[in-house]
Amino acid sequence: MTAITDPLARVATAPDRPARSERLGRVVVRWITSTDHKVIAHLYLLTSFGFFLIAGVMALVMRAELAEPGLQYVSNEQYNQLFTMHGTLMLLMFATPLFVGFANLIMPLQIGAPDVAFPRLNMVSYWLYLFGSLTTLLGFFTPGGAAAFGWFAYAPLNDVVNSPNVGADLWIMGLAISGLGTILGSVNFITTILCMRAPGMTMFRMPIFTWNILMTSILAVMVFPLLAAALLVLETDRKFGAHVFDTGNGGALLWQHLFWFFGHPEVYIIALPFFGIVSEIFPVFSRKPVFGYKGLVFATVGIAGLSVAVWAHHMYVTGAVLLPFFAFMTMLIAVPTGVKFFNWIGTMWGGSLSFETPMLWAIGFLVTFLFGGLTGVILAAPPLDFHVSDSYFVVAHFHYVVFGTVVFAMFAGFYFWWPKITGRMLDETLGKIHFWWLFIGFHTTFLVQHWLGMQGMPRRYADYSASDGFQTLNLVSSLGAMALGSSTLVFLYNVYKTWRTAPLVTVDDPWGWGGSLEWATSCPPPRHNFTSLPRIRSERPAFDLHHPEAVADLAARSRIVEGLVEPVGVGGSDGAGSSKGAES
Amino acid sequence: MATRRRANLVLGSALVLVATTASGCSEQTKSEWSRGGLPEGATEQSASIQNLWIGSWIAALAVGVLVWGLILWAIVVYRRRHSDGMPQQVKYNVPIEVLYTLTPLIMVMALFVPVARDEAKLTELTNTYTNSVNVVGYRWSWGFNYLEDQVYDVGTPDAKPTLWLPIGKRTRFKLTSPDVIHSFWVPNFLFKMDVIPGRLNQFELTPNRVGTFIGECAELCGVDHSRMLFNVKVVTQVEYDAHVAALRAKGQTGQLKTGRVSVRSNVTAGGAS
Repeated sequence: MTAITDPLARVATAPDRPARSERLGRVVVRWITSTDHKVIAHLYLLTSFGFFLIAGVMALVMRAELAEPGLQYVSNEQYNQLFTMHGTLMLLMFATPLFVGFANLIMPLQIGAPDVAFPRLNMVSYWLYLFGSLTTLLGFFTPGGAAAFGWFAYAPLNDVVNSPNVGADLWIMGLAISGLGTILGSVNFITTILCMRAPGMTMFRMPIFTWNILMTSILAVMVFPLLAAALLVLETDRKFGAHVFDTGNGGALLWQHLFWFFGHPEVYIIALPFFGIVSEIFPVFSRKPVFGYKGLVFATVGIAGLSVAVWAHHMYVTGAVLLPFFAFMTMLIAVPTGVKFFNWIGTMWGGSLSFETPMLWAIGFLVTFLFGGLTGVILAAPPLDFHVSDSYFVVAHFHYVVFGTVVFAMFAGFYFWWPKITGRMLDETLGKIHFWWLFIGFHTTFLVQHWLGMQGMPRRYADYSASDGFQTLNLVSSLGAMALGSSTLVFLYNVYKTWRTAPLVTVDDPWGWGGSLEWATSCPPPRHNFTSLPRIRSERPAFDLHHPEAVADLAARSRIVEGLVEPVGVGGSDGAGSSKGAES
Repeated sequence: MATRRRANLVLGSALVLVATTASGCSEQTKSEWSRGGLPEGATEQSASIQNLWIGSWIAALAVGVLVWGLILWAIVVYRRRHSDGMPQQVKYNVPIEVLYTLTPLIMVMALFVPVARDEAKLTELTNTYTNSVNVVGYRWSWGFNYLEDQVYDVGTPDAKPTLWLPIGKRTRFKLTSPDVIHSFWVPNFLFKMDVIPGRLNQFELTPNRVGTFIGECAELCGVDHSRMLFNVKVVTQVEYDAHVAALRAKGQTGQLKTGRVSVRSNVTAGGAS
């Protein structure tokens, strides 16, 4: 669309590749000493993707074990360690920091800020995350092995009698440390969004992604301290002989309440940012603004609010919770979630849709997450949950929800914002192969698990009997998992290939229809993000900048826009506020 | 009955659509489809769970098909063609937004009514039960104290215990654990409840189908979680009495006193659910 002519946009116009000739040691020093939000974002994305790969390999080992009855590759104890660490890594070392990574990468750009509010705190957050996570993972190298009490570590299985290994202590303290990183990161994001928006960027002009980061950060600030408190109290029980989670004091249920009061909002902490990513992608590839912007914002606020009132739906089978209340609140979540679906479909409706890789992943998310949402409503009904709770039905449900959201939207975000990360585009053909390979692998793995659960296969079983009738579906699921796992190789090859051969992106907006401000600066952006800012007169400043004809058209039909937009580039007098890009 | 069968048929065909692995088409498979994948119930309470399951899936899949259909429609009809310029920049449409907010709200309210009704019925504790058993979950097997007859049975991971239940008697299950949390699940009862140390959990079911069913621990309880299995035998009263006599003959009278399985302390702590 509009080529950058500004000589200050150094990276985009650099003829050679300076990063390649730089010595590795210098790159490392520059990265670990940086306070640039984009560099910290790269560290977060790289690290969390690394944990994603490790946890994915754990999943493949488990699926290999379950492919046929009997114990072939691991012992019961090792199996317990594997699913415990798989869940812990995926939720707290992959999905949660991935949110921080994407937020760091994009949010300051979207609000026109030069960096986050507390750049050094940002780096501290990352180191807390990295070393906390490594601490947790270190359990594998201790004599007793890693923690094996499941990622929600129910009391009293988590006490020093039932889990005496030091791996359990490393798990507890590692998560407390890494959780502090998440809290500090969230404080940083809230402050940045509230205080550092560019002139003209009102709250209701913020991109949906930024809104979702705000709501996510608020949730994280509310519930991660609670997790930290529960973990530290647990460690006090274990090391100093306190008795807070003793069963005689009702500790078994106290832990569940504390954990799930954290744990359920956590599900939304790892969902909302990824809803935000696809909310950015649908408008760009539909060539329309997001449909029902304010409704979408209020739906996000509604989901965040409801998410702290439904924790006990994880506890229906404890026989200790007020079932009708939690059932109703849980079902209510379907309403704002449904609203979001119609917002996304409404965005596509009447648009001009093209299916580049980010759009493909976003639609993959939509199709997959929908089924997870439907089984979610089934699980919200206590009479039905009693049967399938803690079975493979639940495993299938939350993989549809969480994988459908986090992984699909993560790849959507990677393909979408890759030029903002590296200055290069990922390969489209490889991206499409990657998508279909993963899509088929995912559904083969997890769809059949619904039947396994209904028929009576409990989760967290290292083994099952040949007489149970679970064999065929387990084999199908395991084969699907191998396909799912191997699809990642396509992505890694894509990254390698484009890193070596893809040309540098020389325009601000390679997709051509971007709306938010990250598309009004170079790929990748300069150190402080912008050499000039366009006028912000709607929630799509970059679109207004690159498509002045649409703005003029909109202004003419003011019954639609309610005077939100002033024509840019129509009159001669208001060119002063727009960037040089608009004039070229 | 006809409506029910038609509803089951609709669900069955809908499930076939989304399934990727319909294996064969035997009589057994067909009846499993008609139950929406659930095992065949073995209690009087199963029917209401089964019906709610089918009804909820019909509603869920109807919504699913509608929304998937809308997505597919948008993908096909609004795909970009070569000559396309810029589509109309529609930002919102309040009547449609109100419609798609209120419709789901009404739907979940409508779903909540039978859910709340069935859930209250299913968890109801009466004084009219005629049989009661104290199920003790411990690492990693189960013990059963038959409270009326004052006999017990106990298992190990290698020798699965069997819980005997007389057919047609409303049975109170009293769940206790001396160590960690377990969960008492008999898939054919379409029901499970956690067995929590420091707490007495209770529920009532009426077995109504003779047979032997598998039972499993459904809450992670340590190394041998997956070996914490048991069987349930629903039998006639005559067979049941014979089994009680056999336990008595083996000297398994009174209640379990294995030290690890101290029931008394659990009964005094915590109340009925």
